[in-house]
Amino acid sequence: MKFLALLSLLCLLLIGCGKTTADKPQSVDLAAASWEQIAAEARGHTVTLAMWQGDPLINDYMKSYVAPALQNQYGVTLNIVGSQGNDIVSTLMTEAEAGKEASSYDLMWINGETFYQLRQVNALHGPFVEKLPNAAMIDFGNRFINTDFQQPVEGYECPWGNVQLAIIYDTVRAPIPPRTRQQLEEYVKAHPGTFTFDNSFTGMTFLKSLLIDIAGGEQQLAGPFDSAKYATYSAQLWEYINRLKPYFWKEGKTYPAAVAPLHQMFANGEVNFTMSNNDGEVDNKVLQGIFPATARAYVLDGGTIQNSHYMGIPKRSAQKAGAMVVCNFLISPEAQLRKLDPNVWGDGTVLDVGRLPDEWQQKFRNVPGRKYAPPRQQIQPKALMELAPEYMIRLFDDFRRNVIQKQS
Amino acid sequence: MSSKSNLDRAGFLLFLLLAILPMAAGLLYAASYSVGLAGLLSEGFTWEYWGRPFQEGNQIFASFAFSLGVALAATAITLLVALLLVLTVRRSLDSGLLAHLSTIPLALPGTVLAFVILQWCSGSGIAARAAYALGLLQTPAQFPGIVNDQYGVGIIIAQVMVGVPFFALLFTQLWHSQRISQLMELAQTIGATRAQRAMRVAVPLLLHRAFPTVMLHLVAVIGVYEVPLLLGVQSPQMISVLTMRNYAMFDLQQKPEAFICAILYTLLSLLLIAIAWRRMHRMDHEQSA
Amino acid sequence: MSNQHRIFQNALVAAVGMLFAAPMLYLLLLSFAEGWTFPHLFPPRVSAGLWETMWGREQGLVGGLLLSILLSVVVAVGSTSVGFLAARYVSYHRWRRGLLFLSYIPFVMSPVVLGACIHVVFIRLGLVGTVAGVVIAQLMFALGFAVIFFVSFWNAERKSLEEAARMLGATTPQTYSRVLLPISRQPLLLCFLQTFLFSWFQYGLTLIIGGGKITTLPVLVYLYTGEANIYYAAGASILLMLPPLVMLWGNRAMAVRFGR
Repeated sequence: MKFLALLSLLCLLLIGCGKTTADKPQSVDLAAASWEQIAAEARGHTVTLAMWQGDPLINDYMKSYVAPALQNQYGVTLNIVGSQGNDIVSTLMTEAEAGKEASSYDLMWINGETFYQLRQVNALHGPFVEKLPNAAMIDFGNRFINTDFQQPVEGYECPWGNVQLAIIYDTVRAPIPPRTRQQLEEYVKAHPGTFTFDNSFTGMTFLKSLLIDIAGGEQQLAGPFDSAKYATYSAQLWEYINRLKPYFWKEGKTYPAAVAPLHQMFANGEVNFTMSNNDGEVDNKVLQGIFPATARAYVLDGGTIQNSHYMGIPKRSAQKAGAMVVCNFLISPEAQLRKLDPNVWGDGTVLDVGRLPDEWQQKFRNVPGRKYAPPRQQIQPKALMELAPEYMIRLFDDFRRNVIQKQS
Repeated sequence: MSSKSNLDRAGFLLFLLLAILPMAAGLLYAASYSVGLAGLLSEGFTWEYWGRPFQEGNQIFASFAFSLGVALAATAITLLVALLLVLTVRRSLDSGLLAHLSTIPLALPGTVLAFVILQWCSGSGIAARAAYALGLLQTPAQFPGIVNDQYGVGIIIAQVMVGVPFFALLFTQLWHSQRISQLMELAQTIGATRAQRAMRVAVPLLLHRAFPTVMLHLVAVIGVYEVPLLLGVQSPQMISVLTMRNYAMFDLQQKPEAFICAILYTLLSLLLIAIAWRRMHRMDHEQSA
Repeated sequence: MSNQHRIFQNALVAAVGMLFAAPMLYLLLLSFAEGWTFPHLFPPRVSAGLWETMWGREQGLVGGLLLSILLSVVVAVGSTSVGFLAARYVSYHRWRRGLLFLSYIPFVMSPVVLGACIHVVFIRLGLVGTVAGVVIAQLMFALGFAVIFFVSFWNAERKSLEEAARMLGATTPQTYSRVLLPISRQPLLLCFLQTFLFSWFQYGLTLIIGGGKITTLPVLVYLYTGEANIYYAAGASILLMLPPLVMLWGNRAMAVRFGR
């Protein structure tokens, strides 16, 4: 008898848990609604945000600042879940394949190649950005913000932050870091086993920066994917990488799976360099005590890629109004300013500071400066545009085929 | 059948509903996806995807060979070490110090195990620091690649670490249930040396009785995920890691390959389970005979 | 036994014991360390700062701990009770062997690979990203184990005991409550503990079916081990290891049956 009781208890539990996701459907026509109507619609709802959760400082910004502020100011509950890039794409794809009505996510932190894939399978809601009152302050004249991997954003994703790839080194272990392809080759040959890059987003962005350098500047590869040009220049890139490969960490036979393990190895002294898609990350990591205080960041003479990261709303989201309210808050001067502080995150703003009210302009100019990363004005001239997303996807595949799997 | 109650039937139906049915549905879906009958990008029935494993540069078969090799090596080393321990320090494993300490590795989830091995065996890990302190090396790069290496040494170390206490405890129990002590005494009375007793009596008997468990262990090691995720290399990858990579790839065209992997892996597992299974039944007969 | 032999044996026991205990000791040390990088063989600085901030800043850990406990208890209770009954049905069935073989499939196969296959089924049922979904997915695997575990329990001896009870006029519920349950207490506990551990250790399956929303302790630990901060990873790992350690110490017999 105990078992029957236990069994029915279990069934009750399962049914009880299963119901938690039911939320009342949207009643407002978002395209026609005013912002007040949208905000009213959002109140009292929960927005599920899928984001990369690999950085405690970023998590802290979201959980201890953004979530409470949203709750207090707009009555919106923010539920943050861990998922990123291709995991998001595969989840939304599987949801579409299964014909699921309400998506598991309402808002997603994405960047170019995810944006491209989601547009490809028509999984994004939009255009919605012009509806956001704070969008008027976004620097949409900036080509690094209005275009994501050579694709016009067109209101299908909301800019959130802007960053540039930087190489991080330790001034004690590598007093004179290599600044060009030629110098890098000389360096790794003189110091075998001390350099590598990750086999993920950051490392591929590094390779893309080299590809642009090989092609002779970003104009060469601007515009839609050009397979002839890709074939020519990528062949030179692989030739270059394979020449250096025996001198990489682990003789180039394997690469860290993501940038965090590379950071760990740098912190541990196993390699002399790491890199970050966020030029300001070095400050954040030194402040956390993970990197030594002798760590510094710089960009290559040939330039490195600058890009923006964005917020997108899934087409199948049941909480689009709530998601828009969250976006609007994230691009408010208040939230953007806080994010800019290296003690908080150190993420570049997407706002056009000149368009802000005077008091905010003052505050943005007085953000505590970066100590370990170069000033933004210094690296801006070396910023390269992101290439069409196919370049990234091809680089991922071809790096595996032409470098990792190649027996040397 | 008077002994079958409705309660049992209800339990069995739940088992079918919760375990067998979803599993069958999942595998069926995998099969149809792999021939283009399911999926967002599907364009009708095709054998095209099944041709992919045979194309040059495809990783599927290499990954199976690698997984099988790692599992065989890990299991063989595990058995060797566990046998040695049982033959030398059985009493301590039974009720002494080792009886308590051997539970620690068993309480290590794969995630933590992999993390610890990485911290010990990487180029800047504890082992490398010890070598540095002894003056054997000056920089991390000089330390031999034990983790993230081509031969899966890191993965094997991790699997041996959890496998040894498990099999050592299993052998200790079998020692009792198979009355090996008595058999050894018997062998001694007919003049067998210490080595002979171990090699001719204890080891064959232990291995024979443990065979089904060994096979199941092999299947489990072939499918490990968390450990190679942290300790493996990008090529070749263990089956679970490769499957997940293909399942969630930037290139959406790779998804059918994930399901091909899953089906091939299921077939391989079934084969190995069947081998273990036959032996188990033969042993049941031996026992009752 | 010679003296020399005994010394050798004691040394071996000590060495093997050290190896077994080393992961736990290392993690403990690492969680108190600061700036412990190459070439320091021992931590240059020690501090309890991590343990102080861990609870404050990452509130997720407490939530993850509670969620993990809830999940593992539900999975263990569910699989033990259903497995107990289903195994009885299986062991008296004429297709006993075939049914038992089926149970071995979820028992040994990789939860991640099967998880990828059942992902779409679970989405269709609206179970992805819910606690219920993760419970059911884990039950799938735990049930396989429970059925195998109890089939060997329902042997001829139990059968004759049951028949004896019946001959004396006991009803089915009486047979259960007065005869079968009392003699099954030990195996039930064992099965409960093992399925609890299976669920407790699960990472990949929880990640797929939970869609990132169900952040159990293993999911959090993996998040930290993948991060640049190894001290956090060590602290979270210790939290993850404590419950299984207590359980395994409490009942060593189960350790042997617990394969993974």
